[in-house]
Amino acid sequence: MIELSHVSKHFGEDTAVDDISLHVAKGKFCALVGSSGCGKSTMLRMINRLIEHSSGDIVIDGQAIEHYDLVKLRRRIGYAIQSTGLFPHWTVARNIGLVPRLLKWSSADVKARVEELMCLLGLPMDEFAHKYPHQLSGGQAQRVGVARALAADPDILLMDEPFGALDPITREKLQDELAKLQAQLHKTVVFVTHDMDEALKLADHLVVMREGRVVQQGTPLALLQNPVDPFVESLLGGLERGLKQAALTRVKDHMSSLGQSLPAQSRIPGDFSLRQALSMMLRDHCDRLTVVDQQDMPIGELSLRKVVKEAQLDKVSHREA
Amino acid sequence: MSLIDAFSSPNRQYGHINAVLICLSVGMLSAAWLLGVVSVAPNRIVAGTSYGLVTAIGWPGALLVSLLFVAVGGLAIKPSRLHYCAQLCIVTLTLLLMPFGLMVAGHWLIDPTLPQARLGIGAGYWVALFLLLLCLVELRLRLELSRLWTTLLLSSVGAAWLVCAALWLDNLALVQEFQARDKQFYRAMLQHVVLVSIAVSVSVVVGLILAMLMRRYQRLQRVAFALLNFLQTIPSLALFGLLLAPLAWLAANVPFLAQLGVSGIGTTPALIALIAYSLLPMVRNTYIALDEVDSNTLEAAKAMGMRPRQRFWQVRFPLALPILLEGVRITAVQAIGLTAVAALIGAGGLGTFIFQGLGQAAMDMVLLGALPILVLALIVDAGLGALADALRPGGHE
Repeated sequence: MIELSHVSKHFGEDTAVDDISLHVAKGKFCALVGSSGCGKSTMLRMINRLIEHSSGDIVIDGQAIEHYDLVKLRRRIGYAIQSTGLFPHWTVARNIGLVPRLLKWSSADVKARVEELMCLLGLPMDEFAHKYPHQLSGGQAQRVGVARALAADPDILLMDEPFGALDPITREKLQDELAKLQAQLHKTVVFVTHDMDEALKLADHLVVMREGRVVQQGTPLALLQNPVDPFVESLLGGLERGLKQAALTRVKDHMSSLGQSLPAQSRIPGDFSLRQALSMMLRDHCDRLTVVDQQDMPIGELSLRKVVKEAQLDKVSHREA
Repeated sequence: MSLIDAFSSPNRQYGHINAVLICLSVGMLSAAWLLGVVSVAPNRIVAGTSYGLVTAIGWPGALLVSLLFVAVGGLAIKPSRLHYCAQLCIVTLTLLLMPFGLMVAGHWLIDPTLPQARLGIGAGYWVALFLLLLCLVELRLRLELSRLWTTLLLSSVGAAWLVCAALWLDNLALVQEFQARDKQFYRAMLQHVVLVSIAVSVSVVVGLILAMLMRRYQRLQRVAFALLNFLQTIPSLALFGLLLAPLAWLAANVPFLAQLGVSGIGTTPALIALIAYSLLPMVRNTYIALDEVDSNTLEAAKAMGMRPRQRFWQVRFPLALPILLEGVRITAVQAIGLTAVAALIGAGGLGTFIFQGLGQAAMDMVLLGALPILVLALIVDAGLGALADALRPGGHE
């Protein structure tokens, strides 16, 4: 658990982070979003004390960070950055095993852990273990970076635009894998990005920052439904906002039971998003879809009218709340 | 055909005509025909008579040499990998044949009844040798020969020359100079190597410590660089002279130092001056090497929870090592040259022969000092360069 209250950071006259309070519950994925220079990286780096905060409290698991031994604090926090920061003179295996070795694990334990992580991140041991970072593609290097961050099994993971330098296809793939990993490992993650789609896809909790301040925070859905000002709205994609919201909703949650009428021709799995459903309707020129389960058996029906209406209802109920 | 194939087509890689090798070939031909290739002197002091190519090795020899040089140029008109390989063979063969040319010339031109008569190497010979080595450099680049191959090639040529010199070239002036003082030569060589080794190792250690202190205390950096730059501008002879008085005074007044061997002339001032000159390239390279390590890598090391000492010895230092070794290389090569001057204040070394030879107007004796210095510098340069390559992070790029 990470708790920031009234945290500020001044560099001389400039204020990089201004009175920020934030609570990241254990096992939650928190994304900090904002344009460059808004203080999101500074905030991240204050958590592992690469930058010392000027005022306020940063508390990890009930203890203020300045009361931890600096080195021990950093060794229990995983850290992955855009440039990977891999040591160019070490092999992949040695890079990944860094923190366990710093923690004086036995060499057998380190080896086993490295093997486990490389397997987890889809890097075959015999192909990659002895390669050097400059022999890897951008995506592979970033996987190694994430593996190194996870090596000592830290509860907390800090990630500073880890996928920012990758091509769109690789980036999307790694995002999917990170989401899968997080579903499996339940780390407490603080993730900095300027890519709103990435944040919407991964985060449980979204923090929008501007000029060192938090403009709005909440669940991705809440922000999409109710952006506080035009800045947040434009960041969330303006007119595209409806589709982004639809992308976060599963078909299963909006389907009705199979009616008396003939089932629709087009079929969509229940785990797909409403956005994909809408796209399918546009493609197939229909306003109804048959929802199927993993065995391709019909379990319900999705109609355009209902989707549109419920989106409205969501909004109304949210306002009333 | 992919883009990469298109770029590596023969024409792209080798071009239409290699002007460099053709110019070198023309240069070698003119040097061999227009300048004297050998000279003959009845004794050590008298200036020799210069002889041209035909007189020295006869028409068949002259034609053979010309043919070899023309072949190097001719093959360069339409370059290909095969042609470059052939040129490499020709250049190597010529280098191997050159001492035999001297043998033939010696046999024909030296009167056996004159025991003091000697054969000197003429300007044409030197120029051709130099241009041949340039050919080798060009061919090495074109054929992308590794450092190892070039070293092997050059050392086998060098070995062949040494064998010829030892066995058959008795009447060559250079060999005679050597034979007259071989013990002295080996001692001077040893002194030279010892002086350079001490100066370089001290400046490596001091340089590393100084560079690390300069990284910590910014103010020291400005002062130290200013001082070292100033030292570098003092001419080496002047520095040796300047050290004479204070060291002589110290030796006279502090008996302990005198016991250690400190005196106004000799090894001590030579070492002090050599170290003073070596410090600037060493400190500058060490400082830059340590400073230029990627800040992202270092920050990652910090964020992983490495302690400052671990960050330095496990990350910063190994990543700086190749550039640092480059500094050692420059320092060592510079020190090998400077040590020659140290002979003037009685520190010994190969410079002794240079200054004695200059004093006696015996150019071959100067060569006896200068050539080994050159070879020593080349060996150290190649060795440390190879070491820096081997220590490059993550093997070879």
